[in-house]
Amino acid sequence: MKKKFALFPGCLMPTEQYAYELSIRETLPLLDVELVDVEGFSCCGEPMKSVNQLLTLYLSARNLAIAEKHQLDVFVPCAMCHLALTECQHVLEENPAMKERINGMLAAEGLKYTEKRQVVHTVDLLHDQVGIEKIKEHVKKPLNGLKIAAHYGCHILRPSEIGRPDDSEHPQKIEAILKVLGAEPISYPQKLDCCGAPLLANLPESALTKTGQKLQAIQEQGIQGLVDVCPWCHKMFDSKQTKAGETVAVKLDVPVLYLTQLLGLAMGISGEKLGLELNLSPVEKIQLGDVQ
Amino acid sequence: MSIIDLTSMGEPQSDLKKELNDRLTKLQDEISEYCFQCAKCTSGCEAHKLLELEPHKIVALLKRGLINELVNSDVIWTCMTCQKCRERCPQRVAPVEILFALKNMAVASGKQIPGKYTGMLQSILSMGLIQDIQQTTTRSNKILKRDELGLPPPSKPTDVAKFQAGIMKIAIEKV
Ligand code: SF4
Ligand code: SF4
Ligand code: SF4
Ligand code: SF4
Repeated sequence: MKKKFALFPGCLMPTEQYAYELSIRETLPLLDVELVDVEGFSCCGEPMKSVNQLLTLYLSARNLAIAEKHQLDVFVPCAMCHLALTECQHVLEENPAMKERINGMLAAEGLKYTEKRQVVHTVDLLHDQVGIEKIKEHVKKPLNGLKIAAHYGCHILRPSEIGRPDDSEHPQKIEAILKVLGAEPISYPQKLDCCGAPLLANLPESALTKTGQKLQAIQEQGIQGLVDVCPWCHKMFDSKQTKAGETVAVKLDVPVLYLTQLLGLAMGISGEKLGLELNLSPVEKIQLGDVQ
Repeated sequence: MSIIDLTSMGEPQSDLKKELNDRLTKLQDEISEYCFQCAKCTSGCEAHKLLELEPHKIVALLKRGLINELVNSDVIWTCMTCQKCRERCPQRVAPVEILFALKNMAVASGKQIPGKYTGMLQSILSMGLIQDIQQTTTRSNKILKRDELGLPPPSKPTDVAKFQAGIMKIAIEKV
C-alpha cells in the first residue's frame, strides 16, 4: 500500500545537507512512500528554544497547520525538527488555552491548527511503516557484513513521554535496518552520546570536542563506519570531522553516511545519485561497489 | 520589525518577563515538592564533564529562589538540550526545561544573546529559515549549488510580510 507524506525539510537539509535530501528522494519512492513537496514551510523553531520558547511553539504550529491545510501527514528527516513538531502537538493537545492563543497568531497567515496528524522521522518511517520485510525485497547489493555503528541522535529518542521514534535507552530500529541491508551493526558504549550540535551556535569549540570524542571512540574500536539520521548530527560527524579531530588532537578518518545513503547503495542505486561525493569523511574506505 | 521587539526593551517585554517569572515560580514550587537532590540528572548530563554543568545544582538554586543569579550565569548556556536529565529523573523533574526558561528570561531581561542565535533569528525573520542556500563542496573539491544537484527550490514562506505579521504577534501580544 502506498503511503503519502508531506516532506518537511526544515532548514539545514535544504540549505546545505543535500546528500540527505538526495538519498531520501531516491530511495523512499521506490519503497512506495510518496513524498509531497509543499510550499511555505519555515524553520521548525527548535534552534530558537533558548531565546524564546513561544516563538518555537509558534513556528512548529505554523508548519503543522500548513500540512493540515493539505490534509497530509508529515515526514521530518531532521531529529531536532521532529522533536519540535512532536512537542508542539503535545503542548497544543494538552493545553487548549495555548492552542487558542497560537491559533490567534496563525490567523495572520490564514492558518489554523485543529488536529494531530502523524509526524514521522526516517527511522520509524523505514522500520514501522515501510517495514523490514519490504526493505528486504529491495536489497540487490547486500553490504557484505560491513561493521558499522549507529548514531540515533538525542532528539529522536527523548523525551519518551511525548512519544519518540525509538526506545530512549535501548534503541534498535536502525540496527534492524542495517542487518536487513547485510551490514553488521556494532554496539558500542558511546552509542547514546550527543553529537554536540546544539552548542554550535554559542560554544563551537565545545560542540566540536563532543563530536571528536565520540568519533575517536568509534575509531579506536575498529568500527568501519558510522550511520546517522539527522542533518545536524551529520554536519558534525561528516562535514566537520577534520575540525572535530583537531579539538581532540587525533587524526580522524571515520566514514560517515546517512542511513538513506547506505539503504540506497544496498538497493543498487549509484553513489552519485545518493550524493556520496558530498560526504567529506572518507566514505571511499568502505568499498561498496559504487562508492567513488 | 526587528529582533529588539522579540528579545529586549519596550513594554511588551515586561509582559514576557512576567510570564516567564510565573513559569519559573511554578517550576520552583514543583521542584520544591519533588526534587530530592539525587543528582541522577547530573550523572548522565552531556555537558557535565566538558563544561561543568550540574543540573541538580541548577534545580537546587532555583529551589532557593536564586533566579537572578541563575539568569546572569553563563553556565545555563552550556546545556546541550540532550533531554537525558528529563528522561532519567525519578521524580519527573525536567532540568532541561528549567534551563530553557532561565535562558528565555536572560534574553527577555536584555542580556546579550550569545553566539549566533541573533543571526539565526534575523535570518528566520527575513526569509523563514536559519540560513539561506549554501554552496557545497565535494570530496574532490568541486563546488556545487543546490539546483546543480537536481533538487527543487526549497520550501519557505511565500509571503514574507504575512509571515512576519504572525511572528510580530508574539512581540506585541498581551498575556
Ligand atoms: S531543527 Fe533546524 S534544521 Fe531542523 S528545521 Fe528545525 S530549524 Fe531547521
Ligand atoms: S545528536 Fe546531536 S543533533 Fe543530532 S539529535 Fe542529538 S543533539 Fe541533536
Ligand atoms: S534527577 Fe530529578 S530528583 Fe534527582 S536531582 Fe535531578 S532533578 Fe532532582
Ligand atoms: S539536557 Fe542539558 S542539563 Fe539535561 S542532561 Fe542534557 S545537557 Fe545536561
